[in-house]
Amino acid sequence: MEALSSLGDGFIVALSVQNLLLAAIGCLLGTIIGALPGLGPSNGVAILIPLAFSLGLGATPALILLTSVYYGAMYGGRISSILLNIPGDEPAMMTCLDGYPMARAGRAGEALAISGIASFVGAFFATWGLVFLAPQLVDVALLFGPAEYFALFALAFATIGGVAASNQMKSLLATGFGLLIAMVGVDQQTGVTRFSFNNVHFYDGIDFLVVIVGLFALSEVFIFLEHRSGGGMDTHSVPLGRTTVTKKDLVDTTPAMARSTVVGFIAGVLPGAGASLGSFLAYTLEKKVSDKNKTFGKGDPRGVAAPEAGNNAAAGGALVPMLALGVPGSGTTAVLLSLLLALNITPGPLLFQQNPDVVWGLIAALFIANIMLLALNLPLIKLFVKVLQVPTRYLMPAVAMISFVGVYGISGSTFDLLVMIAFGVIGWLFRKLDIPLVPIILGVLLGKLMEANLRRELTISDGDWWALIDSPLAIGIWLFAVAGFVAPIVLGRFFRVKEKQPFDGETLDTD
Amino acid sequence: MLRTDRIVGGLAILVAVFFIWRTTLIEIPFISDPLGPKTFPVIICVVLALAGLGIMLKPDAEPHWPKASGFIEVGIGIVVFIAYAELLPVLGFIIATCIAGGILAWRLGAPPVQAAIAGIGIALGIYAVFHLALGLTLAVGPLGF
Amino acid sequence: MKHVNFAKAAVIIAGLTLPGAAVAFDPGATECIAPANPGGGWDFTCRQVGKTLQDLGLISGTMQVTNLTGGSGGVAFAQITNKRNEDNNVIVAASSATATRLAQGAFPGGTMDQVRWIGSVGADYGIIAVAADSSVDTLPQLIDQVKADPSSVAFAGGSAVGGWDHLKVLSMAKKAGVEDVRTVKYVAFEGGGEAITQLLAGSIQAFTGDASEAKGFVDSGDIKVLAVLAPERMEGDFANFPTAKEQGIDAVGANWRGFYGPGGMSEEAYDYWAQNLKTLYDSPEWKQVMETNGIAPLDLSGEAFQEYVAASVDEIQTLSREIGLIK
Repeated sequence: MEALSSLGDGFIVALSVQNLLLAAIGCLLGTIIGALPGLGPSNGVAILIPLAFSLGLGATPALILLTSVYYGAMYGGRISSILLNIPGDEPAMMTCLDGYPMARAGRAGEALAISGIASFVGAFFATWGLVFLAPQLVDVALLFGPAEYFALFALAFATIGGVAASNQMKSLLATGFGLLIAMVGVDQQTGVTRFSFNNVHFYDGIDFLVVIVGLFALSEVFIFLEHRSGGGMDTHSVPLGRTTVTKKDLVDTTPAMARSTVVGFIAGVLPGAGASLGSFLAYTLEKKVSDKNKTFGKGDPRGVAAPEAGNNAAAGGALVPMLALGVPGSGTTAVLLSLLLALNITPGPLLFQQNPDVVWGLIAALFIANIMLLALNLPLIKLFVKVLQVPTRYLMPAVAMISFVGVYGISGSTFDLLVMIAFGVIGWLFRKLDIPLVPIILGVLLGKLMEANLRRELTISDGDWWALIDSPLAIGIWLFAVAGFVAPIVLGRFFRVKEKQPFDGETLDTD
Repeated sequence: MLRTDRIVGGLAILVAVFFIWRTTLIEIPFISDPLGPKTFPVIICVVLALAGLGIMLKPDAEPHWPKASGFIEVGIGIVVFIAYAELLPVLGFIIATCIAGGILAWRLGAPPVQAAIAGIGIALGIYAVFHLALGLTLAVGPLGF
Repeated sequence: MKHVNFAKAAVIIAGLTLPGAAVAFDPGATECIAPANPGGGWDFTCRQVGKTLQDLGLISGTMQVTNLTGGSGGVAFAQITNKRNEDNNVIVAASSATATRLAQGAFPGGTMDQVRWIGSVGADYGIIAVAADSSVDTLPQLIDQVKADPSSVAFAGGSAVGGWDHLKVLSMAKKAGVEDVRTVKYVAFEGGGEAITQLLAGSIQAFTGDASEAKGFVDSGDIKVLAVLAPERMEGDFANFPTAKEQGIDAVGANWRGFYGPGGMSEEAYDYWAQNLKTLYDSPEWKQVMETNGIAPLDLSGEAFQEYVAASVDEIQTLSREIGLIK
């Protein structure tokens, strides 16, 4: 097989001492960057680009370092999600939903182990997908015009009903709120500014990083402040539990990992929201398929495995359009793309022919990084869970300060910090009110894209709305969304066939 | 009985109405796509208002509001954060972080001396990771750090 | 601020003794503000120029790069004009996008004469392209289609409406004799790459963007370049493609990269920066950077650059007024 022999050549490139060392450094830094709230994969890679330049690295070593950081951050994000209920980066948001309840039940080590393995599975098979399917996947990406993207984002919003909250109206409120935030700033299709209140800081819109760090990290700090010295929620009382996976859990989560890898990979291949959409759809679809006993959201290992397999698979998938089309599938690949250009490598249809050493060296490096990350992450779980033994009175100030530094270090903007504080207060209130936070983030991430694609399609069709369902693919996605997610909710309400809601307002709140 | 959720629903409707009003103020230039910049925000506002209405009609049980002391602690936290954001470029990263981190640790229940040590430790730790290891430019104060 | 005083003293002495002679201005710690997050174009400009200036020994020590994000450059602009107007040691990365926003009044209260335009370090020329299987072969053919039925040709680009990719098309259409440029259909995408993908997918009919964005697809033969919006034929990969000018449409669209400094910076400091950017531009090291990054030549510094930016702001203003983007 041609691909395999090329991959063999790639391993020869990647297995030099220097490159292995760079991969190890990248994995370690990436894990740290991923775990720190406020620093995600995209700005983590961006801030390390100068390092790659100052070390005078060539194209392949630089890419190996930075993609290791990228994969590492995807692993790292789950750590703070599970231990602190604060997503280390936006794709890890879904891992909070079941990871934190597991940690509260003394199963933090298990959750970290399962998610680590799921991350490995997702990334491993996605990298194989990159090896064998890249050219065919490009054709898939080309099937997606504005109408199909619009349908896809509509599907994502249709699945929100299944995420959390006993009160669907509150999910809807959160979605609307998130979408409204996404509307702030210059409108791409006309150039006018919306909801900026003549404040220049709002012209570019509100960065989702500011929103997510405020809503999740700062609101968590406020909750601890409210309870002072953490009476009743002293972390010492939580047993750390085992740090390995039981065979049973592994067997139970395997189908979840398999399905989520496929879903995540496809979401990653489509240029757009990338890993966040991947982990979101992986979670909601898995819940739809296998949540028979209503254990999702209360510490179900499958609810940890699904989003982690999904976001790591999406991370691999996002490399397909980046390498083969020069189109970033996510924020991080956009940064990697600018690095490629700076290294005089032109991504595009000819990249695999023109720079085979770079591409296959990179892919081989991804395999190596992935194995390193698994080897690094499983033994370190014993160390990670120690975080839970740090008294909250010292841990939470550190979390707060790290959040501030992450945002300030990237944008240098005091204004962003103030917006973040405002979102911290909103997040605290919403948690009290049992309004879920995840739909807000989804709205912020996808709102602009959804609107843009709707309007692009209508511009192209000169205002003909039928153009939105003009292709079999678009119709298929719409049918899936309506039949799979919207209809059950509406019909369920209508016929009252739903079993009575369990009477627990249990959410992410730590009360 | 006035439930918190009824207020929340009402507020959501008010926010929706406010933003619909703001939307009508957007001036459309001569060039515009068929849908224009106003339609989508209006749809969102309608969704928001419907959600608000739904919550008003079917409110959940009351949330657990903290006692007055809890609100005061959160208020102190907000003040510390805002002061930190404003003073960061003035005092520089290390000094501002020592102070803010220390106060937070103290409010979360650490004895004053330990809180001060925690503040310094947090500042130096973050400085080491973010500035020295990752090379991010943190706020520089009058003393050069 | 010791060195500022020294600089002022130097001005006086220079004025008394050697009128017109170049006075060595010695900047202290130099700083380059990138008005965007790390990883973007402005950030890249700052870092590459800072590194090359240091390699050439034109500045002592390293140039610190500060990211100051917000308002598409507006926050950095406000910071310079309001807070650091007299700072001699700072320069800010800028590009055509900066001029566009200034022209359209998108920086509240900001105008281009509030700052000093120091010099350019290169440009990326615009192109107009169609899919390889398109029946259109030349720019005039495409223009004829637009004239016959504007809704039959949707242009796609990576900037917002009113942004640089859009204005390039409008300016070109206007020069080609399209009566009402407002009828030209433009669809905004997230970036040049996405726009090209949609061209290949068949969603849109024509692409407007920068040469560097399209390089990969030109090499592979997936897209057909109708015209390069450069004053003369480009070197290298794009040498085979005619300019718009050769086809009778006198349109040029250069996405330049350069720097501005605070409006109140001393003449010595201004000369120092202009001179150093010129030296940088002429150096083989910078030629190498330009070549690896696909940057085309655009060699302007000092007053010449100031005039160039003024002219481009004027043109953008006229065009924006015509399409109703500004009043």
